[in-house]
Amino acid sequence: MPFLAFLFIFLLLPTYGVVRKAFIANDGGYTTEGFTDAISKEWPAFWGSLKLSFVTALLGVVFGTLLAYAAATARRPKWLRSLVASFSGVAANMGGVILAFLFISLLGRQGLATKLLTEAGWNPYKSWFNLNEFTGWVMVYMYFQIPLMVLVTLPAIDGLKPAWREASANLGGTTWTYWWRVGLPVLAPSMLGGFLLLFANSFSAFATVYALNTSANLVPVKISFFLQGDVTGRSPMPFALATWMIIVIAVSMGGYLVLRKRAERWQQQ
Amino acid sequence: MSTWRARLGRLFPTLVLIASALFFLLPVLSSARFALQKVPMVLLNWSNVFDGWSLRTLSQPFKEDNFWPTLSLSLKLAGGTVALTLGLLVPTALFVHLRLPKARAFVEFLTVLPYVVPPIALVAGVAAFFRPNARWYLNSEYALVPLYVVMALPFTYRSIDAGIKAIDVRTLVDASRSLGAGWVTTFRRALFPNLMSSLVSSSFLTATVVLGEFTMANTLAKRTFPTFLYEYYGLKAQSGTALALMTLIGTTALLGIFTLFTRRRGARVPTRF
Repeated sequence: MPFLAFLFIFLLLPTYGVVRKAFIANDGGYTTEGFTDAISKEWPAFWGSLKLSFVTALLGVVFGTLLAYAAATARRPKWLRSLVASFSGVAANMGGVILAFLFISLLGRQGLATKLLTEAGWNPYKSWFNLNEFTGWVMVYMYFQIPLMVLVTLPAIDGLKPAWREASANLGGTTWTYWWRVGLPVLAPSMLGGFLLLFANSFSAFATVYALNTSANLVPVKISFFLQGDVTGRSPMPFALATWMIIVIAVSMGGYLVLRKRAERWQQQ
Repeated sequence: MSTWRARLGRLFPTLVLIASALFFLLPVLSSARFALQKVPMVLLNWSNVFDGWSLRTLSQPFKEDNFWPTLSLSLKLAGGTVALTLGLLVPTALFVHLRLPKARAFVEFLTVLPYVVPPIALVAGVAAFFRPNARWYLNSEYALVPLYVVMALPFTYRSIDAGIKAIDVRTLVDASRSLGAGWVTTFRRALFPNLMSSLVSSSFLTATVVLGEFTMANTLAKRTFPTFLYEYYGLKAQSGTALALMTLIGTTALLGIFTLFTRRRGARVPTRF
């Protein structure tokens, strides 16, 4: 079948190429040195990527669920829910250089908000904020992480039947009991799955952070740096980094796909 | 006490919505302000933040030498990706559906594999594998097309598969075949009209993703539209922001058109995930 041949050539062979080159030394022999070097010498990049992915996934889950809940329960403007859903569809796809430019215009060193806040007496760059560093990356990533979480969790929130709430109240449960005993357990697989999806999404994101800071110490940026800097194409470093990256993402995406199956249990009509 | 809490409970979702609206709109508004202002950024303050507008930057990017060539390359890549995706996936999905239902789970598994190999890793592998074995491929202008097909695979396959599941393919095929139609006629006159909306929607989404893809194009040093935008912004931040904003509006409009196509069928919101 042409489809299988295509996948073989353009997905499996390149992946194999990455993994193979991760284990080949400069002299052409087999070695695990590059593979272990990648994690020991480039540990700051890994730590940065893990930290960034963890923080943005966690915040994304919290704010995404809150936004989805607010949109799903709001009654008054009828179009609100579909507006939030459509907008999330657009914004979740929006990582990349454009997103970086939008935020530079707002919160860059010469950004509009930076200027106006400084004039009002508070310079964000003199306290904790810097768009080219961790705090700034987190803020920019939220722009696609929150909408992605909304997309994941909106069907789950729709799956919460009002009858359950009434049943809980009839049995003497408070709002707190309802959320703790009914709502959260039903939402839990979606939230945990969403966390893993967001984690993988942030871990693999390259363009956004590259446009903010080309020397960001994160795994994808390092891979690009080594790929472009190494003319001989012999160094195992970028490939070892990419192999580690595939491993991390495979674990979190695998968990997501399993949890998604479980989350869909309450979403059938 | 209880009314106070009830009021807070009602107010809370509204606050969440307002805060979200601010977070998502402010970067867009500030970039519009930055792109269209005449006041030098250094002199900007509370008193002149709404003064001095100019539309000059909107026309600047079109005068760049690299604008049209890169845009046309990106449009060709988008067209090529859509064509290859449809040519590859529609027969596969139909075949699996009609002849090999047992292989469905396996094919679905294959189509989500690209999630696991992020673009930067895939492109590293492509460079590693094809540089020694098929250099002509890497040098080709269209080297990105198959990579974009792979990148888009998880959502394109799901969308096409959902379109096929939604109609009774077997009955349509049997009816058409028993009336004497060949496979081509069957596809063209019986299946295609019914699959139209799912094919169109996945094509639009693919096209917008291709038009914004930066990672692989940049790593393989291909001069596509996003890499032009990135370079241009480095030279002229203000016109670059204007171009970024116009691109954003353009692609959002494209997605908007495509949502209209899908909404009639009550499909869920399109995403990459």
